[in-house]
Amino acid sequence: MRKIKDDIIEKIIFFCGILSIVFVVLIFGFLIKEGISFFKEFGIVDFIIGKFWYPSANPPEFGILSLIVGSVLVTVGACIIAVPVGIMAAVYISELAPKQIKDILKSLVELMAAVPSVVIGFVGMVSLAPLVRVFFNIPTGLTAFTGSIMLAFMAMPTIVTISEDAIRSVPWQYKEGAFALGATKWQTIRRIVLKAAMPGIIAAIMLGIGRVIGETMAVMMITGNAAHIPHSIFEPVRTMTATIAAEMGETVTGGLHYRALFAIALVLFFITFLVNFIADLFLGRSKNK
Amino acid sequence: MKTNLYQNKMLIDDLSCFFSNKCVLENVSLSIIKNEILTIIGPSNSGKTSFLRTLNRMNDFNSDFSRKGNVFLDEENIFHMNMEKLRMRVGMLFAMPIPLPMTVYENVIYAPKRLGVIKHGKKSEMDAIVEQALRDASLWDEVKDRLDSSAMKMSGGQQQRLCIARILAINPEVILFDEPCSGLDPISTAKVEETMIALKKRYTIVLVTNNVKQASRVGDRTAFFLMGRLIEIGGTAKLFVSPKEQKTNDYITGRFG
Repeated sequence: MRKIKDDIIEKIIFFCGILSIVFVVLIFGFLIKEGISFFKEFGIVDFIIGKFWYPSANPPEFGILSLIVGSVLVTVGACIIAVPVGIMAAVYISELAPKQIKDILKSLVELMAAVPSVVIGFVGMVSLAPLVRVFFNIPTGLTAFTGSIMLAFMAMPTIVTISEDAIRSVPWQYKEGAFALGATKWQTIRRIVLKAAMPGIIAAIMLGIGRVIGETMAVMMITGNAAHIPHSIFEPVRTMTATIAAEMGETVTGGLHYRALFAIALVLFFITFLVNFIADLFLGRSKNK
Repeated sequence: MKTNLYQNKMLIDDLSCFFSNKCVLENVSLSIIKNEILTIIGPSNSGKTSFLRTLNRMNDFNSDFSRKGNVFLDEENIFHMNMEKLRMRVGMLFAMPIPLPMTVYENVIYAPKRLGVIKHGKKSEMDAIVEQALRDASLWDEVKDRLDSSAMKMSGGQQQRLCIARILAINPEVILFDEPCSGLDPISTAKVEETMIALKKRYTIVLVTNNVKQASRVGDRTAFFLMGRLIEIGGTAKLFVSPKEQKTNDYITGRFG
């Protein structure tokens, strides 16, 4: 009897475990199916390096280079802001802050992670965008730069909390060992603590990037959504995610435009996969050392 | 200050230590003579580790810690010295070997490079420092072919000797050993002890140990701590054969502790 119970529970757990794999494979399969049929009709090279996205022109143009540039620009911008600030905040929280400040900061950062992206987008649109427009004296405040700042806010909680965990789990003995050699606090943090915590910090950055690159609602609201290749970060851009979200409702199911959006999703999936892969490579390398 | 036949390296003058107002060390005064191995024995809670950690101010990281009295290094009050400079002169080895998460080579060269002992280190110069430090720690022959592999993969005894090498690389004057062999097997222990004896020609060594036998093997002088007080200090041979205090006798013969 106990044996049977054991078996059943084991089966249930196995089923739950396998479920996530099934989901990913199904999603991937679906994307490939729709994407491939699009590529057969339109051509993958024209799709990737085409500069014009005119899905409803006649004949339609499906070039997503401007969308890729938009996504990359906003993501890189967000990382440039969020990564240094996030890591330094994590160092401050885990190594330097007095107890009370530490507790307050930690709960505030966690609270920040709970803000829905539409709220972030809304705040960015009504408060940050006018500021950017006036400050840089440009025609519109809805730019890649504005998007980067708001996305940096979204990525920061992830980066801070996970890096903070990694830094805190560096054994106290490492620090003590470095101090006993006459290292200053800053030398210890930079050379020992950050180095030992590096795998965790890289994982944190990658998760942050993952959040930024997949973010849809906020970027749709604050980047201006102009599908052209920008000359600077102070111009409106349109990201891949925003394109899918904005246009999916207008397409004919099974039509060329509909499948083009799936092809974009496929590209997006590929990029995220690449980011994860690079992260794993880094993590693997630092572990082997 | 009393004048001494020998040269005092460190002088501890009426030192008391407290952790959140609980007294862990009471009015300890003693001197540490240049180029000796002073061993400190005592049961746990005797304050011997707190004493050792005060000598290079490692206790200062603990915000509950406070102290009275003074410690002098070459007649200079250590509590008026720059903390990092002090620790470069008074190195410390811990109970658990703690290699830093890098290669063997980097572990040894870390401190000289970062702390500016060598400036704009030439490769040949750095190699020489690493080799010398590893030789002094009697580790060179075992690791010379794998300086670039991770220090974390070495055995416990090797790691502990690597930690010794790491301290030697910055050329301190005093080395504090905090139960350095408590996690090691007898053979590794013997090697660490040999290393310590070889090192006293150039360094002054203070060794805190739970192992009374070890104290009698390597110590020139031995101090016995109990409940935060210094009970007795004297030549190791004399202290082990004919201690002045009954408590010392009880401890070294294993009647308590």
